[in-house]
Amino acid sequence: MGLLAALANALPVEDVSRLERAASRAWRVWSALFAIGSANPAPTGAGLARTAICVGITLLGGTAGYAQSSAEFFEARVRPLLAGKCFSCHTQTKMGGLEMTSREALLRGGQSGPAIEPRAPERSLLVRAVRYVDARLRMPPTGQLSKEEVKILTKWVEDGAAWPATGPVASEAEGGKFVIADHHRDFWAFRPVEDVDPPPGRGSAIDRFISARLEEFGLRPAPPADNLTLIRRASYDLTGLPPRPEEVDAFLADTSDGAFAAVVDRLLASTRYGERWGRHWLDVARYSDDRLNSTQDEPYPNAWRYRDWVIAAFNEDMPYDLFVKAQIAADLIEEREMGRWAREDLIAGLGLFALSPKFQDDRIDVTGRGFMALTIGCAQCHDHKFDPIPTEDYYALLGVFNSTEPREHPLATEDVVQAYQFERERADTAKARLQEFLDDQSEQLVNALAARTKDYILAAWSVAGPNRTPLAATAVDRALDAETLERWIDYLGGWPKQHPLLDAWKTLQAEGIQPEEVGRFAESVQSQILHLIAEKKRIEHENEIRLEGDRSGTNIRRTALLALPRDEFYLWSDLASPNSRDLPTPAKTGVLYYKGDKLERFLAGVWKDHVARSRESIAALETKVPPKYPFLHALTDKDAPSNEHVHIRGNRDNLGDEVPRRFLRVLSEGEPEHFVGGSGRLDLARAIASPDNPLTARVMVNRIWLHHFGRGIVATPSNFGVMGERPTHPGLLDYLAARFVAGGWSLKALHREILLTDAYRRSSRGPAASAGADPENRLLWRSNRRRLDAESLFDSMLLLSGRLAAESGGPPRPWDDRNVRSRTVYRFVSRRRLDVRLGLFDFPNPNQTSPRRFGTNTPLQGLFFLNSALLMDLATALSERLETEAGTGDDERIRRGYALVYGRPPTEEELAVNRRYVEGSDGDWPGLMQAWLSSNEFLYVN
Amino acid sequence: MSTRLSRRDLLRLTGSGLGMVGLSQVLDAEARRSPLAPQPPHFPARAKHVIHLFLNGAPSQVDSFDYKPELTKYHGEPYPGGNLRTERKTGSLMKSPFEFSSSGKSGIPISEIFPKLGAVIDKCLVINSMHTDVPFHEPSLFMFNCGQRVAGHPSYGSWLTYGLGSENQNLPGFVVMCPGYPVVGPQLWTSAFLAGAYQGAYVRNTEVEPDKLVPFLRNPSRGLDAQRGQLDLLAKLNAIHLLREGPAPQLEATIHSMEVAYRMQAEATDAFDVRREPQTIRDRYGDGDFARGCLIARRLVERGVRVVQVYYGNMQPWDTHDDIQRMRKLAANSDSAMAALIQDLDASGLLDETIVLIGGEFGRTPTVEVAGVTRLHAGRDHNNHGFSVVVAGGGFRRGVRFGATDDFGFKAVKDPVHVHDLHATMLHQLGLDHERLTYRHSGRDFRLTDVKGEVREDLLA
Repeated sequence: MGLLAALANALPVEDVSRLERAASRAWRVWSALFAIGSANPAPTGAGLARTAICVGITLLGGTAGYAQSSAEFFEARVRPLLAGKCFSCHTQTKMGGLEMTSREALLRGGQSGPAIEPRAPERSLLVRAVRYVDARLRMPPTGQLSKEEVKILTKWVEDGAAWPATGPVASEAEGGKFVIADHHRDFWAFRPVEDVDPPPGRGSAIDRFISARLEEFGLRPAPPADNLTLIRRASYDLTGLPPRPEEVDAFLADTSDGAFAAVVDRLLASTRYGERWGRHWLDVARYSDDRLNSTQDEPYPNAWRYRDWVIAAFNEDMPYDLFVKAQIAADLIEEREMGRWAREDLIAGLGLFALSPKFQDDRIDVTGRGFMALTIGCAQCHDHKFDPIPTEDYYALLGVFNSTEPREHPLATEDVVQAYQFERERADTAKARLQEFLDDQSEQLVNALAARTKDYILAAWSVAGPNRTPLAATAVDRALDAETLERWIDYLGGWPKQHPLLDAWKTLQAEGIQPEEVGRFAESVQSQILHLIAEKKRIEHENEIRLEGDRSGTNIRRTALLALPRDEFYLWSDLASPNSRDLPTPAKTGVLYYKGDKLERFLAGVWKDHVARSRESIAALETKVPPKYPFLHALTDKDAPSNEHVHIRGNRDNLGDEVPRRFLRVLSEGEPEHFVGGSGRLDLARAIASPDNPLTARVMVNRIWLHHFGRGIVATPSNFGVMGERPTHPGLLDYLAARFVAGGWSLKALHREILLTDAYRRSSRGPAASAGADPENRLLWRSNRRRLDAESLFDSMLLLSGRLAAESGGPPRPWDDRNVRSRTVYRFVSRRRLDVRLGLFDFPNPNQTSPRRFGTNTPLQGLFFLNSALLMDLATALSERLETEAGTGDDERIRRGYALVYGRPPTEEELAVNRRYVEGSDGDWPGLMQAWLSSNEFLYVN
Repeated sequence: MSTRLSRRDLLRLTGSGLGMVGLSQVLDAEARRSPLAPQPPHFPARAKHVIHLFLNGAPSQVDSFDYKPELTKYHGEPYPGGNLRTERKTGSLMKSPFEFSSSGKSGIPISEIFPKLGAVIDKCLVINSMHTDVPFHEPSLFMFNCGQRVAGHPSYGSWLTYGLGSENQNLPGFVVMCPGYPVVGPQLWTSAFLAGAYQGAYVRNTEVEPDKLVPFLRNPSRGLDAQRGQLDLLAKLNAIHLLREGPAPQLEATIHSMEVAYRMQAEATDAFDVRREPQTIRDRYGDGDFARGCLIARRLVERGVRVVQVYYGNMQPWDTHDDIQRMRKLAANSDSAMAALIQDLDASGLLDETIVLIGGEFGRTPTVEVAGVTRLHAGRDHNNHGFSVVVAGGGFRRGVRFGATDDFGFKAVKDPVHVHDLHATMLHQLGLDHERLTYRHSGRDFRLTDVKGEVREDLLA
């Protein structure tokens, strides 16, 4: 954190406002600069507020700053700058060999040589690095310092680079440990939420915050949006669906003051609200219906119960603090924390972690970025480079998660669960026993057939050789099994595999084979195969001993096992293996190996009866097994919770100190208390969902704001750290967060307060002057035009076609079923194979928590609009609906269609354009509907 | 901005019924707004395209491109180079069952199982000194594709299209072909935190017909003429809307991408259709999914596609733990196609500006594997310490055997090249500085090579 921003953050709000007013004088300069900066694909990341304030202070401070003594100048200007921008890599980490803890250290320098040459800034690497003059040496690498900051460092070096010996310890590391200093805690995001009074003025509290900023920068807001735009915007925002024509008409007809409030209340009360906003949370929760398994599909059969729980929590307006606690520790929280919910209603929330992509350490990332907008995951291998998160904090939390394990939570009585498990086990045991018997029979059969190898080969020669005796008769004559004989013939015949045995056979044939040679060959094969079978058995037995019965991961990888030599192995495999996938035989087993029905052909008498009876009894047992009871993917504490050791540089084999399970240091007063109850999940949940946690409420309020305005007050919704953006309206963010907590963490109250502002109700078009000064609309002088996301797009099409079903919840609907009528949120979400349509329309990667969605615009999306069967089906249904609802008159149908799709009547011009298309295309109504559903007016919400 | 539609343009369009042909001319400059629009490189580029033939599962270097006579001589002896950690336990040195012969004018020894690749080896750089971090498939696949051992980072194909766009706006900029999925799957061509437009377009190359290869490529019932009429109507409706809304880049970009999609139907249908190649050409590539993938790759690059990856097959076919002789069949299925691709690109001059990269995620041990899943002792374990790749074209050296492993082919000892270095050098050839091609995400600037990687001038012509 730079000094200037630190100053701004440290000031009371009134002073900040004063500074901001002063800063407004710099506005035009700044905005001119910014307009240039915004063309850069990677702007330095400074938020509007911070930048503006910085400029303001710089102007103010400029009169006094450079007149300070060198020591004062160092402490006031240089040290904070170094601390904020350089120390994270150049104190204990010594990147590039450079330590920046003293003047001497800088003179000593790093790999590139001395960092400074006092009084010669032009020759000082430090100054050259921050000026970005050499492509190979640009510091800080994350973004150039402001001109003002570069000036400070240049002047410091020019004046001799004084570094007073006394004063605060510069290094943040004491004895190798990361120490959290006051200036860390003073960062805006870590300071307590303040209950800020809105600035004076007219309108709602939120509007006063926003208007104050607009006035300071001399921006005029856009006029209010018309009512049609407004109801469409609110309907999409709150439910992800367009308003119905009746709803539009009712709102347009309602001239009372509370008309819009009534619309908002209706939308918030709709169950469609939870489907929309639950999905926003599911993005954060990286929700999916399967695991990321790299070799095969691996669904989580009950994942949808977590999805439905999230949707219900939004619909029921579950207090957000409870929503958080339930997802971390529903199994552990106390009754008094549960409000009007019962534990059974909360357990499903544990799916957040139980449904991890691979149940690895993404859990810390979700916890950090999802709940607190902190990139704790960055501290896995080293102390966080920018935020005050020592690597120990990471392992303190890892201890919590590694003391936790997944658990199936049955949604059935104990009796039902036990009955299922008992019956399942009985049936499985019976099956296993039968299989064991059959395997044993297969093996015995191999031995028996192998003992007659010579006879089979001679018979094969008789059939396939010069004699050409018929196969079936030959088998009968010689008392051989016809199928086995056929397999031998195939095997010895033209199979292109290289193999000493087959080579020998081919040579014999090529040289004109003599009967006695065949006999010798057959005999030798027989003795070989009998030997190999015995040898293979011996080796397997020996390997079992070497593995000590444990075939699990490390053991099997590190134990040297015996094996047959290559050629012998293939002979054994070709003849006797249960799985010979290289063989051309349809059975994919060795020549002598029979299983399944084919094996049973060889069984007779009591054996046959035994198999038949076992089959019957297994079938009977299976009918007794009830369908598996439903369950929740939940968590439980391990019996013996334990601490983790720091993994030095993230390496499991290089362990550092043990770290007690505890909360993050920077969010605790003093040394955090150790978690002692079980895994510590309950303590963790309480620490996050605490009114005193400076991040939790701010982060959620900001997420809500983001989805209403298209941009958060903090533009990086999952990173409130040093490298994230600063809030554009810090007072407003705190006001909302404080209100949110004081009002019982109610999301619906928050939505209501936001939607009933002038700021929300503005038009998306506004004064050109404002557009010139703030093209990105950071100060919210207008509304942002937004494109429908994947769900809103597909759902709206379904709704308009008249096919959207009222059904909600339940197992995920497959994508390949064209008859699915439920909302997209209920479709299968796959980590392994995300549906192509979801991917096409910027659905986030469900392997990682996602702060917000991209809105890309690609020709491949165009192909979807042109050619997708889904869209064409729905367009046809919509055209049929128009005919039903509006009759056969072209104009009537077009009018009805406009009311449905666009919520407004067509102009005369539009009527004419559409009519001409219908006439010119021989009544292609489905094609017309497809065009409407691909049109910008439908795809964008103003 | 002068490229913006003027009010007069729109009035003219809607009033006269000029239709989309006219509108698209007005909008053409807006193509710059496409996320795949060509971007200038950091500095002049030597290469424009990458074709990566991924022999997934990790082929053995000592049986293909890294000839080690000492390995034959000391067959059956213990490896003297110390205890290099691999995934599973291995035993003594095992000689290659294949013969090597000096190939081309350069005389680089190439295994008998790659005779055709050997015949074009003078156009290739054989790097024998590759190494990577760990002897496990998943992290190494991530490393080779995304420059990091863990999931969640953009693939190099995504980085390249993010940095350079693509030269053909009517085709995806980054295409990935596999009959099914390699191990790990689509995470290997993910754009991660980069925009979705930079993700690899996955194409299942078991199919022959283009509309089965590219989603939504062809309309099931409406012909191109009918579609043209429909699009003209859409253009008018959008123009009326735009006129009402005022200047709006995002609306204009959507209008533009509809037009591009219309043209893409023809362009992609052509590009992905190998049946349009003469039979003699198709015969040179051979049969099978991989051969078809190589041929499509050529056709795509000819049309300006930036990056094409062809995975040899599903899962990890080259993972020959049991029996190294399985490579004979794998090579027989790929040798012709790889050689034909290099020849064709060279003949048309495209090889100069196309990097053809052939190899796997790591190599294999010169010692025989004796533990784990093997049922016979004739294969080799994973080896991250040393492996080989073949690079043709794109300004890389030609007819050179570069770097070296130790006498037995285990560990890169001379001029080692890390995967990060290869990435940095490939980016360099495409005109990108791997340290400057960054994207800010989650509070820091990310790049393909993380904090590592060095441009290796010694690999370049």
